[in-house]
Amino acid sequence: MQQFRWVGRPIPRLDALDKAVGRTKYPSDYYMDNMLWGKVLRSKYPHAKILSIDVSKALKHPGVVAVFTHKDIPNNRFGLFHKDRPVLCDDKVRYIGDPVALVAAETPEAAEDAANLIDVRYEPLPVVDDVFKAVEGDGAKVHERGNVARQTRITFGDVEEAFDNAEVIVENTYRTGAQIHAYLETEAGLSYIDEKGRITIVSCGQSPYRDKKEICETLALPEEKVRVIIPPVGGAFGGKDDISVQIFLALITLKTGRPAKMFLSREESTISSTKRHMAYITMKTAADKNGKLLANQTEIILDTGAYEGLGPAVLDVAIENCNGPYKIPNIDIKAKLVYTNNYFASAFRGFGAPQVMFAIESQVDAIAEKLGLDPIEIRLRNVVRRGDYGVFRNKIEGSVGIADALEKARMHELWLRRDDIRKTRHRPWIRQGVGVAAAVKGYTIGALPDKGVVGIELTTDGRFIIKLSSTEIGQGVVAAIAQIAADMLSCHLKNIEIKAADTSQTPDTSVTSASRQLYLAGNALRKASEEMIKKLITAFSIATGEPAYNASVSDGYVVSTSTGRRLSYSEAARILEEKGIGREAFGEYEVPRTTPIPGTLEIPHLFYMYAAAIAHVEVNILTGVVKVKKLVLLPDAGRVINPQTFTGQVEGAAAQGIGYAVLEDAKIEQGILRTINLSTYLIPSIKDAPAMEVIPIETTEDTGPLGAKGVGEIGIIPVAPAVANAIKHATGVRVLEVPITPERLYRRLKEAGQNTPR
Amino acid sequence: MARKKQLLETAETYVSVSMKVNGVPCSAKIEPRTLLVHFLRDVLGLTGTHWGCDTGNCGACTVIMNGKSVKSCNIFAVQADGAEIITIEGLAKDGQLHPIQEAFWENHGLQCGFCTPGFIMQAYWLLQQNPNPTEEEVRRGISGNICRCTGYQNIVKAILTAAEKMKR
Repeated sequence: MQQFRWVGRPIPRLDALDKAVGRTKYPSDYYMDNMLWGKVLRSKYPHAKILSIDVSKALKHPGVVAVFTHKDIPNNRFGLFHKDRPVLCDDKVRYIGDPVALVAAETPEAAEDAANLIDVRYEPLPVVDDVFKAVEGDGAKVHERGNVARQTRITFGDVEEAFDNAEVIVENTYRTGAQIHAYLETEAGLSYIDEKGRITIVSCGQSPYRDKKEICETLALPEEKVRVIIPPVGGAFGGKDDISVQIFLALITLKTGRPAKMFLSREESTISSTKRHMAYITMKTAADKNGKLLANQTEIILDTGAYEGLGPAVLDVAIENCNGPYKIPNIDIKAKLVYTNNYFASAFRGFGAPQVMFAIESQVDAIAEKLGLDPIEIRLRNVVRRGDYGVFRNKIEGSVGIADALEKARMHELWLRRDDIRKTRHRPWIRQGVGVAAAVKGYTIGALPDKGVVGIELTTDGRFIIKLSSTEIGQGVVAAIAQIAADMLSCHLKNIEIKAADTSQTPDTSVTSASRQLYLAGNALRKASEEMIKKLITAFSIATGEPAYNASVSDGYVVSTSTGRRLSYSEAARILEEKGIGREAFGEYEVPRTTPIPGTLEIPHLFYMYAAAIAHVEVNILTGVVKVKKLVLLPDAGRVINPQTFTGQVEGAAAQGIGYAVLEDAKIEQGILRTINLSTYLIPSIKDAPAMEVIPIETTEDTGPLGAKGVGEIGIIPVAPAVANAIKHATGVRVLEVPITPERLYRRLKEAGQNTPR
Repeated sequence: MARKKQLLETAETYVSVSMKVNGVPCSAKIEPRTLLVHFLRDVLGLTGTHWGCDTGNCGACTVIMNGKSVKSCNIFAVQADGAEIITIEGLAKDGQLHPIQEAFWENHGLQCGFCTPGFIMQAYWLLQQNPNPTEEEVRRGISGNICRCTGYQNIVKAILTAAEKMKR
């Protein structure tokens, strides 16, 4: 592999310094003089007709400046796929986080007190809390169009024929829970009118241009009147992909002319924010006597709750990945996205893949057991390799590291000690086991059009400012882009400055999601760098009279390869300025994409990330408590740009995977979320996060910037099935539902007669 | 003192509080229900202390009060009347990073960084109590703080590295 000066080195992130001293300004840290505080009144009912909204008492409350309702919103429906979401509810409320009114007041206390004085009269409606009842169609409807938001069926080959010829068939129904993002910074922001008269929103988010579009459309504002800035955000994981406070802030400033601040309480955030889709997955999987997978018949129902959000795309990703990283010749997938009054589900790291991977990876393990095959061996017999055709008859052209990952897993000491670990009993009531799982997910947004622009400005003192709209949500994209830029532009890292995510100053680099911002921005940056280097060399030719083909860039200089004469970047900047050539360059990159297969929106992808995981668990059979003792992750995410950032992304995702597997239990009863804060919705603390080992499987993705792919999501996907397979190994009991809470596991152990200490 | 949050002219029940924050005496009139975290952020403008949960679970608001680490969302500002407070802004001296800050930076002990000031303040207190902790003691010492990004591996590494640095 080619060696670089900056790429591939574990350089401490530049932005991390400010974070370590408390200097970084997050969306919640912005204040202004004469600022108002916004507070939303949210629905009390999961499903109800709004009969009337009386704001008169609230308006009279001391310190209140304005109270807004749906009457103040010119276009009160928005949404990325389907415009089904109101800014402020008008006819109905559809979940308990639904916003009904918005107060702007001089202090947060006055805003909160006034919100409680708004008199909303509701007529409660039957709560649609069960996807199976919801689809029957004769009960209550969440939306006029019916409760099935989207449904599709994809088939290749003939599953029935394959089932007739199979040696072994496994059929199970799986359930996965609603996971809450629980980013440490709740939704927040500040709005004001900037020096050019634009309504400016500094807020959390994952895509400044898309947020701006939704603000402009709902409030009927022209594009040039709105500016969106996204500073470093205190965690997102997909949960800030949809609009939260942005339109409210814009509305207050639009109507009052004053700056406005919002910062949601943890409870308000937990109730109102989007969640991971609950899934119901039935899978019938067949294999021949050698463990070759012959067929997989899958039915997926995703509960999208009150609104679609990004649900249609999440459903696509579930469809795409429900066959795992395997070549299965016969597949039949029925998939539905269903409205309920349970919550509002949309994007969350993994985006439909964690749900289906739990199912298929449990299935494959069960087949291996029936055939007496080693769990890694059966996977290796079926995994896709570069150049193969996938389940949709799509050629897999990108790099594929899953076979390597599984081979390495097979030789890992934890796997080799698997049977010894199982036999070791420190206590009569403790069982130990080791499980494995594979994972796959496409990165980029598949067959949907996706392009982005990156700009480079050469400063007069010879430094570079990289301008892009990628958002720094903790993943380290800004630092990784700086490292790539320093190599591409051949300069010291300290001479790279990043200006990110301000629609008035940075070009549209598309959305920060789908693990592909590094890939997309990195490729656009490569093009911009090539343009910039051409300009630098032009300046050199002007200064020296030497032809361009003699020159190349090296460590801050343009150098002639024949005469050795050189020109510094700062001198080049002066010449470009004088000659009117300009010191800016732009690069646009359009992500290569496929044609979607009929019945889908955006799949298959051209590029995939892969991973294998090994989990070592300890199960207390008397309490059902599972302790994950160790996790080994083997992600294939292409060339590693910064080893620290890479490992950190994978470890963090894996910790969320442990939460998803055994801990994070969003309890929703008749549409009411019972776990509304961090003392009832438990996310992994250090006590739950075991020792982890990350072994990168470095493949080189030829189309990626310097060989990189994406890494953001893959770490979470194999964890829940690896843990479930380890629990099976330890206890003999297979659990079909995540999270595998103590109550659930205890019940299953008891049913199976496996809860006697000995 | 730049006051970020205004008071209403009409409200009657304000109280005065004074405390020393990072060595600087501060006093202000506030609503009695004001939490210490909001006093630090909204009144004093010290936004390095973050507000994460309100229920004492996440620890993003951890500060040092009279020598002890406290979660400032579980304390009313009036309870801190007369106290000495240290926040993340008070750790670096004369432009020199505190060794704990340096260790978090170098060991990649953070991603989004929102929990980081809380972890650093907790580590500051932990290393004062126990300058030579084992990994297990570090894990126990920070178990009241939550990070959603990192999986904790590098946070532990950073605190152990800081302990080494502080011995030098």
